[in-house]
Amino acid sequence: MKLSWRTASRIAWRETRSSMTKFLFVVLAVAAGVGALTGVRGFSQSFRSTLLAQSRTIMAADLTARQFVPAGPEQTARLDDLAARGVEHTLITETISMASSAMVPIDSEAATPALMSVKAVDPSRYPYYGAVKLDPPMALADALAIDAVAVASDVLVRLDVKVGDKLRIGTQTMRIAAIVVSEPDRMSGSLNVGLRMMMSREAFERTGLMGFGSRGAYRYLFKMAPTAPPVAAVRSSISSALPDALVADFRESNPIITRGIDRATTFLSLVSLIAMIVGALGVAMAMHAHLQQKMDNIAVIKSLGGTSRDVMGIYTAQTLLLGIVGGVAGVAVGRMIEAGFPFLISRYFQMSFTTGWNLDAAAQGIAVGVLTTLLFTLPPLLAIRRVRPALILRRGMPETRLPWRQRLAETRSAIGVGALILACIGAIAGWLAESPRVGAYFAAGLTVSLLLLALIAAALLRAIKILIKTSPVRIPVLVRQGLANLYRQGNQAQAIMVALGLGVMFTLTVYLVQHSLVAEIVQTAPPGMPNVFLIGITPEQVEPLQALVARTKGVEGTPEFVPSVAIRITAVNGTPFEQLPTPESGRRFRGGRSVMFADAKPASIGIVSGAWWRKGETEPVVSVDIDAAQRLRLKNGDHIQIEGAGKTVNARVAAIHRVEQMRAGAANEFVFNSSALAGFPATFYGGVRMKTADVGAFERSAYRQFPAVTVINVVEALAIMQQVVDQVAVVIRFLSVFAILAGAVILAASVAGTRFRRVREVVILKTLGATRRHAGRIFSVEFLTLGAVSGLLGAILASVFSSLVLNRLLEAPYSFDWKITMLVVVLTALLAQTSGWLAGFRMLRQKPMEVLREE
Amino acid sequence: MSHSSKTILHAEGITKTIDTGTHRVEILRGIDMAIPEGQFAAIMGASGSGKSTLLGLIAGLDSPTTGRVVIDGIDITGLDEDALAVVRGRKIGFVFQSYQLIPTLTAEENVLLPHELAGGGVAAGLARARDLLASVGLEDRLDHYPVQLSGGEQQRVALARAFMGKPPILMADEPTGNLDSVNGAHVLELLISLNEREGTTLILVTHDPMLASRAGRIITLSDGKIVSDEMQTAMADTALGDRRA
Repeated sequence: MKLSWRTASRIAWRETRSSMTKFLFVVLAVAAGVGALTGVRGFSQSFRSTLLAQSRTIMAADLTARQFVPAGPEQTARLDDLAARGVEHTLITETISMASSAMVPIDSEAATPALMSVKAVDPSRYPYYGAVKLDPPMALADALAIDAVAVASDVLVRLDVKVGDKLRIGTQTMRIAAIVVSEPDRMSGSLNVGLRMMMSREAFERTGLMGFGSRGAYRYLFKMAPTAPPVAAVRSSISSALPDALVADFRESNPIITRGIDRATTFLSLVSLIAMIVGALGVAMAMHAHLQQKMDNIAVIKSLGGTSRDVMGIYTAQTLLLGIVGGVAGVAVGRMIEAGFPFLISRYFQMSFTTGWNLDAAAQGIAVGVLTTLLFTLPPLLAIRRVRPALILRRGMPETRLPWRQRLAETRSAIGVGALILACIGAIAGWLAESPRVGAYFAAGLTVSLLLLALIAAALLRAIKILIKTSPVRIPVLVRQGLANLYRQGNQAQAIMVALGLGVMFTLTVYLVQHSLVAEIVQTAPPGMPNVFLIGITPEQVEPLQALVARTKGVEGTPEFVPSVAIRITAVNGTPFEQLPTPESGRRFRGGRSVMFADAKPASIGIVSGAWWRKGETEPVVSVDIDAAQRLRLKNGDHIQIEGAGKTVNARVAAIHRVEQMRAGAANEFVFNSSALAGFPATFYGGVRMKTADVGAFERSAYRQFPAVTVINVVEALAIMQQVVDQVAVVIRFLSVFAILAGAVILAASVAGTRFRRVREVVILKTLGATRRHAGRIFSVEFLTLGAVSGLLGAILASVFSSLVLNRLLEAPYSFDWKITMLVVVLTALLAQTSGWLAGFRMLRQKPMEVLREE
Repeated sequence: MSHSSKTILHAEGITKTIDTGTHRVEILRGIDMAIPEGQFAAIMGASGSGKSTLLGLIAGLDSPTTGRVVIDGIDITGLDEDALAVVRGRKIGFVFQSYQLIPTLTAEENVLLPHELAGGGVAAGLARARDLLASVGLEDRLDHYPVQLSGGEQQRVALARAFMGKPPILMADEPTGNLDSVNGAHVLELLISLNEREGTTLILVTHDPMLASRAGRIITLSDGKIVSDEMQTAMADTALGDRRA
């Protein structure tokens, strides 16, 4: 017999229609997965643009151009031309100067000056994005009067002054109008040494700080109106107007953050894929339970001459139907997720999101949903082949155990199907992450997690079974019955534990990692990064300063002292610098530069090409930052000639590097070996990591002993980083909650799927005198145990994964948090209880008369 | 065994109508009956005559559309679900055609179940459960699960369970319907002898005249009404023990 698709679809549809409630949960499980996926695909775009918008905030502009000489009249005219095309600009001048308290006589010890990082802005324009937060709260333009400044709180500590007091700076005495709590472009500043002092451009002119010989940086901020040309065009206009400037736009404001966005997008897609898989697992379970109930039908169709293929056609049609309905519902869920995100994370983002129907994301979501559903339904569908028509004659007989040979053969085909499923999931993951390697890792990670969860779940279920059978204390019958429900055929407790456990594990891992990381950042700095910098150290001061640091309380890790040597590049490969065909942008290397030397590769840089030199190398060698190398057209093996303090050295380019971690004051554009710079006068910069609470005391003792050394506390900058970590983590956690929800839906589906058996037992118990409360207690024992065990399982694995991630990948400490673990166990138990009851409470109302109807 | 002629079960004008939405089906159309304590009554009738529905109503498994049911002095009309459950637990034992054992409980635990549901301690009930199982010949199958027992054995466990709570009334719905003739006869003998030992009122629903012939009274239903209610010869209204003599 050959069943037409028409007939197969008709049977499939009627069966689906008659089991609506049961399949409602299946549709919900698929919808949860597809919803998470389309929500993410849609939202990650919003997220990306939001982070990009934030990177505008980090620059306080759409584009910036930075140079060390003021723009000439011709250049200024060209910038004004740009304004006519919808690109306005404002200039920020930054310089370093000393300032002291004007509240005490100038010759007194209390008037010791401190190094200020002065920033002159036009408060009517600056900042284009974000806001300067002041304390007391006021508008920047109000604070920056012609005779006033705003300063960082450190200034008050260092100079022993308060808001309203006056400071001597340059030729002027200025009033402290407010404290700078935060400024958006702090991370993009040019001269982040010294203590922040902000003033208006007019006030800055009056101080006379930018007199002859002063060193300053000029940063132009640009803002594009909606009518402005594309960013690339604007960028090239700026580059040609200001050939000496380093131009950056919001698309590349910060390599660390940009890379973070890419990783986040990939990661979020995979997170939702996990929710999807949990949902698909639910479909597979429901289909399995459904087919178990339809064994008679299948046997009848087969005894009437239907082939396995015919029957599989019916149920494949049914699966497709469920997958598509779930997928469409999921797209609606995804749209809600997308729309709900801004509300959910409004605490963290001030930006408004633009979201909308995304047909591509919807089609992708449905396709992935249907494909995953079909994949996971393969095992129960293939099992149809094993249904013998004779079943109809021996209904109700327990399954006979197959001989081991047959069992082995079936295991082999099961493993084959499993491998196929994982391979396809890996391919989907690879496609979502746009990286086959990520796909392979995902599939491998999933396999390990699923196997671990399945094994532990099986072991726990077995333990419960053994406990019930061998318990020396008689367990009350209701508890016993509830526990026994867990390991019964058709109940799929193991699969529920795997699904729910997977969701819990995932969500908790994200939470634990984020929690530990943030704790670490709050405590000091990102792992391994200094949070206190020391500037202006002479070579003779290095040792006593190291001794001071060693004596200081709260210091963590090894303090770093990095040399800085002033040199001038005079020739490349024998050609004098002036005659080099360097592009415009390379001309900024013409002046003096600060470079450093090191014998071992500093941790803050990564080699791009070439090789680091061995210790004790006597030939002068240098490693050049990739950006500088491109501007000077340098490659490995080239020679650069430098001059300084009356000496000339010709050094071979041994390596090209990339700066991976920002270090304040570190002159790591050119890194020489120590013998190359022997005899050059050097100053040192120090980096120390210490507990936030101990920074103040260290600042004071360093100031007393080494008044010329400036101590900079960068904890405030780290707070920005903490926010980024928090924001990303909230999003991930929100999505991973969908995996837990899908797990809960699966539990509900399983309860609905075992309705027949459950009702029958409730009814028998009722005829024997059980009240609804009795029957309800059995359900509660079952659901609470299931949830608690899943929660425990997830929590244990989450602890293992978190400690692996933190210790191995992030090199951050991890400590087991039993309170969180307990909370997770309790919450998962309650969730399981709720979803189980929602699906099952109607069964308790069943009249005991059913028991006779069944006769 | 001495017994009074007190009415243990009283049904008055009970009707049961099912409204399917499109049409109404009258399953029972006014049943009046009184069962004296200790009687062995059989309710007979063809398939669809309403006998199982009647059993359900007089056992408090369902509520009649109209009419009144009094079980051992308790008017169960209008009692809520849980109150009905308590009455069933105390007053009625059940034996079903398809045994209806709880598959996750052993034979002994199945028998203990009504006792535990009524709030009795396990230790207190254990001796009686074992005694009952021994009297149905299953003393060596205490730890077996239902799937490990044959149909006849399962029904014997169900018998023991029905008597566990010492109910004054035992209701049996085609208790031998799923068994072969040898096992069926064995179960029936056990049912009658346990009934004799426990002094229970026995109400049996069957369409098998052979089975009904063992009863002291035969009530025949047809189309939702009692069409005949006959005492069996001189044994009518006598205890089972008397009949067996």
